[in-house]
Amino acid sequence: MQADLDEHGVSLVALSKDTVEEAATHKTRDNLRLTLLSDPDLDVIRQYGVEHHKALGFKTGSFTLFGIPLALTPSFKTMAIPTTLLVDEDGVIQWIDQTDDYRLRSSEDRVLQAVKAAFT
Amino acid sequence: MNTVAFAASATGFLAVMVAWGTYLATIPSGKVPARPVGWIILQLAGMATAVSAAVWSFRIGGSPGVAVIVPAVFAVMMGSTFFYFLSQRKTPIGKLRVKVGDTLPPFEVKTSDGPEFHTDSLAGKRTLLKFFRGGW
Repeated sequence: MQADLDEHGVSLVALSKDTVEEAATHKTRDNLRLTLLSDPDLDVIRQYGVEHHKALGFKTGSFTLFGIPLALTPSFKTMAIPTTLLVDEDGVIQWIDQTDDYRLRSSEDRVLQAVKAAFT
Repeated sequence: MNTVAFAASATGFLAVMVAWGTYLATIPSGKVPARPVGWIILQLAGMATAVSAAVWSFRIGGSPGVAVIVPAVFAVMMGSTFFYFLSQRKTPIGKLRVKVGDTLPPFEVKTSDGPEFHTDSLAGKRTLLKFFRGGW
């Protein structure tokens, strides 16, 4: 998808509540080329109204055998609701996508369709 | 110790862990299935096998022993957590404060590489801004 975005001159920026260190690890681990933004105090997330107060995560520290978690304890954390905004060169929002199932990524096809619709 | 019961219980636990492991492996590449049917079946089969082994072992000769009970307990715990997570997958759409046609509200944050980022730097550029959950 990066190549298609480049074709339309769209740069990719992603923001989450991860700290700078966590974001840096994520970028290296997944070999990401985009700009990762760190919003650990959730200021921007709240500013945009994409806060999910009791989002389900899990704590793995509880029971481990040789580092493998044997029990995952659910815990609630505040995180961003996965949301995608397509912004044009004048800073005007052209398209918004929000998932209702946080496990699923924004479909690439849908994103590219929106990019084409906005910028051709 | 009832070897058969232990083997069955351990296998059930293993099935649950394999289901978890392979399911979690779909996350980094973003290929989490909308309806994880295979995983659901494997989790249920694993839990059922482990619990059946413990129950059977108890029925045929008193206490099934730690070797049978422990994997069964963990299988049930881990399996239940899987289903609980699945049940919580719907995000509340919430109160998004921007809409199409709005100008992007400005903000300033740090990037993962260190330097500050301000939305002013996006002027004159087309951008896809993604809010994501981050580590959890």
